[in-house]
Amino acid sequence: MAPFSPLLSARSITKAYAGTPVLKGVDLVIAPGEIHALMGENGAGKSTLIKILAGVTAPDSAEIAVDGRPVSIENTKAAYRLGLRFIHQEFNVVPTLSVAENIFMGRLYPRRAGLFVDWSALNAAAAKALTRLGIDHIDPRLSLGQLSLGDQMLVRISAALLDDARLYVMDEPTAALTREESERLFRVLREIRASGRSVLYVSHRLDEIMALCDRATVLRDGRAIDSGRMAEITHDDLVAMMIGRKVEEAYPPARSNPRAEIVLSVSDLAASGIGPIDLEIAAGEILGIAGLSGAGQAELVKTIFGDMRPTAGSMTLLGAPYRPGSPAAAWARGVAYVPRERRAQGLVMRRPVFENITLAHLHRQSLGGVWLTPGRERAFARNTGQTMRLKSAGPGQPVFELSGGNQQKVVLGRAVAGAPKLLILEEPTRGVDIGARFDIYSILRDLAAQGTAILLVSSDLPELLGMSDRIAILRDGRLDAPIPAAGLGEDDLINLCYGRSAGRKTT
Amino acid sequence: MQLFIRRYGTLIGFVAILVFFSAMLPGTFPTARNWLNITQQVSMLMVVAAGMTIVMVMGDFDLSVGSTASLAGIVAALMMAAGQPLWLSLGVALLAGLLGGVFNGAMVSLVGILPFIATLATMTMFSGFAFVISGGKTISGRAIPEEFGSFARGGVSLGEWGGVAVSLPNLSILAILVVLAIWVLLEQTTFGRRLYAIGGNMEAAHLSGIAVKRLRLIAFSLTGLAAAAGGLMYASRVASANPVQGSGLMLNAIAAVFLGTTMSRHGEPRIIATVIGVLVLGVLDNGLTQMSVDSYVRQVLVGGLILVAVAASSVSQARR
Repeated sequence: MAPFSPLLSARSITKAYAGTPVLKGVDLVIAPGEIHALMGENGAGKSTLIKILAGVTAPDSAEIAVDGRPVSIENTKAAYRLGLRFIHQEFNVVPTLSVAENIFMGRLYPRRAGLFVDWSALNAAAAKALTRLGIDHIDPRLSLGQLSLGDQMLVRISAALLDDARLYVMDEPTAALTREESERLFRVLREIRASGRSVLYVSHRLDEIMALCDRATVLRDGRAIDSGRMAEITHDDLVAMMIGRKVEEAYPPARSNPRAEIVLSVSDLAASGIGPIDLEIAAGEILGIAGLSGAGQAELVKTIFGDMRPTAGSMTLLGAPYRPGSPAAAWARGVAYVPRERRAQGLVMRRPVFENITLAHLHRQSLGGVWLTPGRERAFARNTGQTMRLKSAGPGQPVFELSGGNQQKVVLGRAVAGAPKLLILEEPTRGVDIGARFDIYSILRDLAAQGTAILLVSSDLPELLGMSDRIAILRDGRLDAPIPAAGLGEDDLINLCYGRSAGRKTT
Repeated sequence: MQLFIRRYGTLIGFVAILVFFSAMLPGTFPTARNWLNITQQVSMLMVVAAGMTIVMVMGDFDLSVGSTASLAGIVAALMMAAGQPLWLSLGVALLAGLLGGVFNGAMVSLVGILPFIATLATMTMFSGFAFVISGGKTISGRAIPEEFGSFARGGVSLGEWGGVAVSLPNLSILAILVVLAIWVLLEQTTFGRRLYAIGGNMEAAHLSGIAVKRLRLIAFSLTGLAAAAGGLMYASRVASANPVQGSGLMLNAIAAVFLGTTMSRHGEPRIIATVIGVLVLGVLDNGLTQMSVDSYVRQVLVGGLILVAVAASSVSQARR
């Protein structure tokens, strides 16, 4: 008899798709009062495992027990009855309804005279549900769409916590969250743990997992590796478990120094929500932009990329006046862009890889800008794919069939394929596994070595520190003078983002 | 298997319909003359539906095509009645359709009104124009030059098949040319590729440097032009014009494109698929008429068929 009865024990799970095994006898055991990480590269089978637990996908074989009692999870209702709750990346909420309505969706609203919804009671109950998680900055009457993604996630979690569930499964909950939002979420998760309930936490972010989780199950090649207690292993151990070998460096080294030639120069630039901003990026330089969420990153990028009109100031590109009226004008001047949300803003999911790559280059990858030349396009895409180390069945494969990391490589490939003078990246490795991440970093290094100026906007502080030559902090729409990244630590960056000077520790 | 049904279900249904009518009407249905006749019967719808495909590739709609077709017929007939030369009358009518399309495109892409609402409004407007300028009357008889009406009755002789002289109707030839042109436009040019990108993800297309607004404007203009061409073909066929004669085209055109999307991967409209969609509707109409099925019953059957085809394809899509 084990010293404890596990909350959830899923043993010998196998699942194959069309004859290709995805899970080859995986064990996942979660103790009560535990935050348990589920890790693995894209395509390692994490989603399949979660879908099996959620009753969405039937396993080929499995022995699942909850509280020591054998169960079978036939459908999503069965999973719900067992006390399993699933909080996904793209969660189903109604942005036009209020926070309170979203929290109580599917439950009975408090009534007045048995007929009319008692709105004040509903709002009060919602506020209470939020306060239980230590959330007091969200007004339950606001419509959900007005909140930041992080706050929406917290609302969703507070709704899931209303009833007595046993296990919360969270798939990359912090992918869209800022650092402070993530911290708030972690506090909530620790409270859940303290109450004896458990969390299965899926993430690519090793630092988070090291700090938050008690144990991890790492999926690799369809098998599971039990990490043991997180306190007893190192970051490098975890990486080695994930990719099956040791990695020396998370970030490829810089190969050249920025040149003297200024690619983009921005002076006194102002637009709705930002400015005045001064900024210079040299050829071959990677300039990182850090800041709290909503500090003006989106506006700054849009203005430089021609998707938002500046209200004042001027820009030059390679010494010539630069005032793009549209993204098309920006591309035409050799400015390329990798947007923040690859599905919503980057990819035409149902079209093939090659069409997605040539989308911004059709005028050159065609006859006279008019006639399609699929052969030339495919060759162009194949070349780009090789540079990007893209794993796909070929240029004709629809993009939605690729893993997240490879989708991101398609978006980046489109930007890189035209040999841009200036490359603007927003969150280039969000939701991308370690292997693909390293590939992406290497490609950025190569580009910089060839003289491309790179503007890297990211909320991933280690990434900013590891990749940037200089980092500038965006705060309330204003940009500080960039400082060299070398010698900076994450603490320094956080302090700078909050407007404190580097080096002074918070108390 | 499911994928097979999803992609080829409509095609199999089409073949089943052909077999059914051939069995029921062995003497009149499976004959060269009848099939050539069908191509003529569907030629107006073919042109309008092919034009509709252009905007539907972008995920948009144009509800005004029927009114545009009526308006074009009225404009041409009025000008001919006023003694203007044929080429000028047709040219101005086509121009009216083009301008109507430009107006639709401007409302949708520049003003930012949803296509459904914008073209619902212009559907009423264009129809109103047609009534106003025609005084609500049908223009026919001696007002219409002989060569305009005889064009639709003519054709290119294909010689004798089994002892019967057959010819490919002029209207069918026109429809084939329009379909070919739109096929080239959508499948062979960067313009078409960009429209498909807009239909798949407008934001990504915009951020990839595609001039989304301009392309939407052009696409709606072309749809309007095709609708006008369809209206003129109709007017030629009946050698007259009245302000409502195109009104049935809109629903059938959208139905044909939808039937077509059930055959394409990822549910995108494709011109070839639209052609089959039009043929399904045309063959049903032809066969059921020959079997003396009441025209209202025909409407019920055709509507039901569209539901079945789209439901079958979306059900199997949901199960994927």
